[in-house]
Amino acid sequence: MRWVVLVACAGCLSGIDPEWQLDHDRIVAIRATPPHIPLGGTSTLDGLIAHKGEPTDLEQPIAAGAPTAVEGLGDAVTFDGQHWNVAGFNEAQLDQARLDLGLAAGAPVPLDVIVQFADSGGVQLVGKKTVWLGDSADNPASVGDVQVGGTPPGASITIPSDVDVPLSTDTDTANMVDWLTSCGTMHDDDEHAAFVHVQPSDSHAGELALVVRDPLGGVVWQVWPISAQ
Amino acid sequence: MPGFGPLRYALLFVVALEAVAAAQDVAPIDVAGRVIDSRGRPVRGASVTVDGQPAIVPSTTDARGRFQLAGVPTGASLVIAADGFQTGLATASAASLGDVVLLSVQEANEVIEVKGEAPPDSPGAARLDRSEVSRIPGTGNDLVRTLSAMPGVVNSQFPLGFNGIVIRGSAPEDSKLLIDGFEVPALYHDIAFRSIVPTEAIDSLDYLPGGFGVEYGRAASGIVALTTRPGADQATEQVETSSLDAGALAQGKAGKLRYMVAARRSTIDLLIPLILPSSLDLSLTTVPRYYDEQLRLDYALSPRWTLTASSIGSDDLLEIYTDKAQNADKRFYNRTRFARFIFGARYSDGPWTATLAASVMPLEFKFESGAYQFIDVNQIALDTRAEAIHTSKNIAGLTDLVWRVGEQTNISHYDVDLALPPQPREGSPQAGFPNPNDTSNRFDGVAWTPDIGLWSALTAGLSPAIRATLGLRIDAFTRSNDVATQPRADLQIKVTPDTTLRLAAGAYRRPAENQEELEHPDLHPERATQTILGMENEPIAGLRVQTSLYYTDRTNLIIRGDDGVLRNTGVGTTYGAELLGTLRRGPWFVWVSASLSHSVRHDTPTSPERLFEYDQPVSINAAASWRRGKWQLSARFELYSGLPVTPVVGAVFDSDANFYDPIYGKPYTQRAPIHHQLDLRVDRSFMWGPIHMTWFIDVQNVYLNQSTVGYFYSYDYTQRAAFQSLPILPTVGLRGVL
Repeated sequence: MRWVVLVACAGCLSGIDPEWQLDHDRIVAIRATPPHIPLGGTSTLDGLIAHKGEPTDLEQPIAAGAPTAVEGLGDAVTFDGQHWNVAGFNEAQLDQARLDLGLAAGAPVPLDVIVQFADSGGVQLVGKKTVWLGDSADNPASVGDVQVGGTPPGASITIPSDVDVPLSTDTDTANMVDWLTSCGTMHDDDEHAAFVHVQPSDSHAGELALVVRDPLGGVVWQVWPISAQ
Repeated sequence: MPGFGPLRYALLFVVALEAVAAAQDVAPIDVAGRVIDSRGRPVRGASVTVDGQPAIVPSTTDARGRFQLAGVPTGASLVIAADGFQTGLATASAASLGDVVLLSVQEANEVIEVKGEAPPDSPGAARLDRSEVSRIPGTGNDLVRTLSAMPGVVNSQFPLGFNGIVIRGSAPEDSKLLIDGFEVPALYHDIAFRSIVPTEAIDSLDYLPGGFGVEYGRAASGIVALTTRPGADQATEQVETSSLDAGALAQGKAGKLRYMVAARRSTIDLLIPLILPSSLDLSLTTVPRYYDEQLRLDYALSPRWTLTASSIGSDDLLEIYTDKAQNADKRFYNRTRFARFIFGARYSDGPWTATLAASVMPLEFKFESGAYQFIDVNQIALDTRAEAIHTSKNIAGLTDLVWRVGEQTNISHYDVDLALPPQPREGSPQAGFPNPNDTSNRFDGVAWTPDIGLWSALTAGLSPAIRATLGLRIDAFTRSNDVATQPRADLQIKVTPDTTLRLAAGAYRRPAENQEELEHPDLHPERATQTILGMENEPIAGLRVQTSLYYTDRTNLIIRGDDGVLRNTGVGTTYGAELLGTLRRGPWFVWVSASLSHSVRHDTPTSPERLFEYDQPVSINAAASWRRGKWQLSARFELYSGLPVTPVVGAVFDSDANFYDPIYGKPYTQRAPIHHQLDLRVDRSFMWGPIHMTWFIDVQNVYLNQSTVGYFYSYDYTQRAAFQSLPILPTVGLRGVL
């Protein structure tokens, strides 16, 4: 019950950025390309990073590792001088991992990779990305057909202020959706159909981001400059 | 004195005082005392005269049953007479006579016996009086809420835990809440800190912070025992409404049947939608609302037998969406409802009294959070309780012996279906929200908890000034195959006529039947060994001071290991000092309580020491009330330590779940700031035709001290905001009694 009270009151608290706020030093999403890799394949890690007062960035990790991996698989996380990758595991290691984790023969093996990005605004940015070893799957190709105010967005978006502006994507309903903005106030930020409302006291310029995560660990995002007038 | 045979005296004496009186000289003294009925209620308007001393001005008892007489020869007999009661006698043995009990004419025709003074059930215990609840502001006219002013009760701006009360720094589940002798799961509704029984339906509320006797069990900390109000000779009907709720009560007597029936519904749910800003992302499908009901019937079957039936019911419902679109993953639903039905019989014949009771309680608890997490508990409790008490005046040099023997059974069937994250245990930090997708604690099954308790105790006067109780309680918690033997003892030494020293010690058990513990039948009861040294002093008429020092040693505490498994490896200690002072004199009522406490524990014998989750080193309450004519003015000041907080030192972003997992620092190494506030209350009575009306305004936190209750983190734990109490909370109410 105390959770309910806290949830109900959470909106009353000031001084805390909501989860959809893009004007905040944070990891928005970590991507492994691809998220599932077959024997002999390589997956490359990067991330979408938000910064307070600055635009979002596609960044490379400064460090990565798999400290909780079953024996041998931790060495699969490597740095090639430019990127952090997951590669170099063999069938015997996968079989041993399946045995240790109680997985069926031939099942993909999850590898939790801890990824660190450069500090932003004094905030240490550390995240976890699960990469699946032993089978194949790609990230989603797109965030779906997006509508902003009933029309597809262009390279940049302009919306009216002080009205509810509907946002939507037709991506598969099984996918997790995450709308973020640094312009206005986002509502229903984890729904396929959300809306943004730019009140007079809100910032009137910034970015709108949409992150789509599929059930297999794939992720895709798109970021638009947005302003209200 | 001819005409006043001992069997006709409706009278209780302070046994020790009689002995002390024998040692006094015969110089005149001023005496004071209180006249109460057999249920402990003050008898107002009783005439108190001194036998054979017509020159001494008689006294009439006030609303609290108090009387004072000046210049009474030591050893003289006082004659107490009141309409509807058998005449009583007392001996002017000391300045403070304690309580004189008058039996009603009906009771006096049954059996009249002389007992010892009824002291508090344990050192530090107290009984709250319904008639005085309105004199403590900040309680919204709620007697149970007045518990927050008791020493040893951990104070907070919100009810703590599921049952709402924490005693002496332990865990909420360590204390038991009883209504008419049977356990209830909670004392408060889910909103507004409102008790499930309105004040007017309560006869008495006993608070036993520890050291209680063998007749109470299944608790490792304290007991709160509420007794419902039986119907009185004079029938009344009343309605009361306030900004929190509205209710009605009728009580009285019809032939041999006494009745009390009451019902109440919240009104705050009608006001909340008007208060919340429309910009808030919130859909209040069902605004938090509650109902409660109370019924009590007492039927005098014969001079020896009285039958009783009562029921207490409570129903809380809430459904909200934290968005306006009412998406399923933004839904929170909670329903808690139960009804406790009790059927009992009381028997009294000569030195024997007995109570027999059986009860059934259906309970439903449903909680749903988002799209995946839920808990659905349906409980049926079948409980019995029987106790026989025998009193003897004198056996083998021991005086005023009281021997009790009893049993209770608590058989509950739980049907549980849940999908939740692991429930935070005492000491498990919870700075933010659990992962909404976490359903790693999945259970769908039933649990039986058949428990049996047996007890016996003997209380006797060893000398005129010393009284001792030795008892033994044995509980069989059959689900875990535990048999707990719990010896307990209480020693009372009257060092002066006004001062009693008490020493109590004993063993206590709390069965592992709280929430997630039901999933683990191999868990054993938590153990506590309590030692309490107390002093009760009445230096002047109307002033009563209770102090106590206590030490509690706890073992077998249930903890969650690093592997997520619950086990009995925790140990801990709590020690502290408490003070409760009350003054009832003229128009004044003053209440002061203070607690100093320190409670620490180890999750395993070798793990580092940490504070208990509800450790509260300092708690002070001071209230004063002044009544004149139709007006009553009251003020209350409270100051208490903030509760411990575990800091978050970082977080790891789980990119696939889009969720941050916090990294906690050392448990409870920070603390919320001290809270203090002043509450004021004004009551005024008036007649409206034949109806006796009272309105009141009760304003909490009048100087707007919006203090920090705890801390709330942002989703990524990089920002922390204070969760603050309300700046001011006014309650207005109106009551009419016909």
